[in-house]
Amino acid sequence: MDEIVAEFIRRIILKIPVGEIVKILRIWSILPESQLKTINLQQNKENISQEVVELCKKRASMKEAAILDIIYHQTCQVRKSWIVYKMTKEPGEEVDLFDMEEFKDSFKKVLQRTLKNVHISFRDSEDNAVWIRIAWGTPYMKPNQYKTTYVVYHSQIPFVFIAQGLIKKYISELCQALITAGSYHKIQQMELRSQYLDSLKAIVFKKYNQDFQTYYLTPLEEGNSEAEIVDPRIVHENEKEKERIRRVTQKTFGDYVQPRIEFAQYKLDTRFKTGSKNGILAEREEPFRCLVKFSSPHLLEALKSLAPAGIADAPLSPLLTCIPHKAMNYFTVREK
Amino acid sequence: MAASQQHGVLYQLERLEAQEKRSARQQDRYQGQQDEETNLQVKIFKLRKLRDELRTKVKLQEASARIPITNLEPYESVKNSEENLEMKLEKAKAFFQAFHLTGFCGKLTTKGICICFNTAFEGNILDSYYVDVTIKKPLTIHQHSVPVFIPLEQIAAKYLDTNFQHFMYSLSEHLNAYSGRKYQADQLQCGFSAFLARPLQRNSLCTLLSFTYTTDPGGESFPFCARLVYEDLTTTLPTNVTIMYQGTGAMPASWEDQRAAHETLFYKNALHKVFESFSKVRENFDCISSVPRSG
Repeated sequence: MDEIVAEFIRRIILKIPVGEIVKILRIWSILPESQLKTINLQQNKENISQEVVELCKKRASMKEAAILDIIYHQTCQVRKSWIVYKMTKEPGEEVDLFDMEEFKDSFKKVLQRTLKNVHISFRDSEDNAVWIRIAWGTPYMKPNQYKTTYVVYHSQIPFVFIAQGLIKKYISELCQALITAGSYHKIQQMELRSQYLDSLKAIVFKKYNQDFQTYYLTPLEEGNSEAEIVDPRIVHENEKEKERIRRVTQKTFGDYVQPRIEFAQYKLDTRFKTGSKNGILAEREEPFRCLVKFSSPHLLEALKSLAPAGIADAPLSPLLTCIPHKAMNYFTVREK
Repeated sequence: MAASQQHGVLYQLERLEAQEKRSARQQDRYQGQQDEETNLQVKIFKLRKLRDELRTKVKLQEASARIPITNLEPYESVKNSEENLEMKLEKAKAFFQAFHLTGFCGKLTTKGICICFNTAFEGNILDSYYVDVTIKKPLTIHQHSVPVFIPLEQIAAKYLDTNFQHFMYSLSEHLNAYSGRKYQADQLQCGFSAFLARPLQRNSLCTLLSFTYTTDPGGESFPFCARLVYEDLTTTLPTNVTIMYQGTGAMPASWEDQRAAHETLFYKNALHKVFESFSKVRENFDCISSVPRSG
């Protein structure tokens, strides 16, 4: 095992939280259980990683190390910026029989035919999906194992999730390999990006609004505990308005937990609208170009709570509420 | 002098003419290829249509071969009004049960109707899927809980607006078949993992399953490698079964018989039932071997 591989493994181990190290090594299954038990987790991280590298000396090459990298990314849910791509078949094409092994072979062949010196690794994951890790090199340079691109593809589902990493140069070759291997006709980038892969999946697989059970339950009577009024002369202010806001919010956002995204970006190309006739911007014919970005640890839940908290009027602008339905969080708004 | 005359205007013109002819031929060839491609596409479309028709015919044949459901007794008016009411109630309950068994139920919503598809396989109730249809011209699907790999858009494009019954039937077929295949794969994975060398490999629709197995879970090796293909998305039995011998060296004659027998089993029976039969055979064998010899 050469120095490069040893260093690579050492750095991965350093990134893994101590509690997860043995678990991940076990999934990797390169080191036998007996050796895993001997690792002393009480020492500092530098020493732990050194120890693991020693154990891997005769057993792991770059190929296995790449798999360790994938496992680390899958288990620790490493933050990456994922972009969603949609693939389409020709109209009239039927769903095809998908063989994962054929897909992997085909993908590897196509990519290696067009680009020299790429290192491709695959790992299947439970939900009938495959994680592809690609390290890019050139005819004169070995693949860069530290700036890799990840691709997640679920069998027979026409969406792919790609995490950046030197991607701009090679995106067209990568897309070509994906559509050839998956028997699709074309591929297109969607205006949807997030760090939370699971939320992206929930949005495009339309799994976030599974509240159909509510159709089969009679609506609960609004048993507000606040309604336990002792004296009928005491009345709550804005009762009706609160109720209306609650209903509108429930209709727009549903009762389920929203998928988690961290921002929404709007590129505005519209005329500046203002009530007053004064000021430089009033009555200008040219559009006022600007970029508006909303950020939040959990943007959609934050939007959902705006109207009930009294910060915004209900109903909210459809530009904000359409995010999960349209599967977009990058918008360009033009004059109608 | 003569040489330079050769490359004069006439020569140039001749060359241009020859080039023109060549490119015209290429055009024709290209056009010919385009035409051929269109013809082949039309042919593919026709063949697929024929295949779908034949599949429906086969299914109808199979269905009519089964014992027909006895008709419900015709309703007779009863003098006693109380008995009348009870009978009505019983009949209503029976209808609800029957509807539940057909796998559909629907509920009106503010904009349209929400249909619930209940799926089942061999008497086991499986997942339910919902489709919310907005009633306006044309009918559209507002939301649904159908998995993204089921070709819902294609089925809706074909039938939703034109033949609603057919839409319901087709979608129900796809969902029931998917649930059934998934159930078989899950049952095999959970109930018979000792028979498998490693977890079964499948795709999202469960239309391609491959696994390496043995009929003897106590043994050391897993000699058979099976690949089941379900080309018809509306069936729960494979259209194509290939089993290969995994062991080293040539396959002994007895294995060949077993292999062929297994192939037939997989074609005709649900996956987990096949493995149940393997374990039953072993049990019988154990029983026989434990019987003391007489005399």
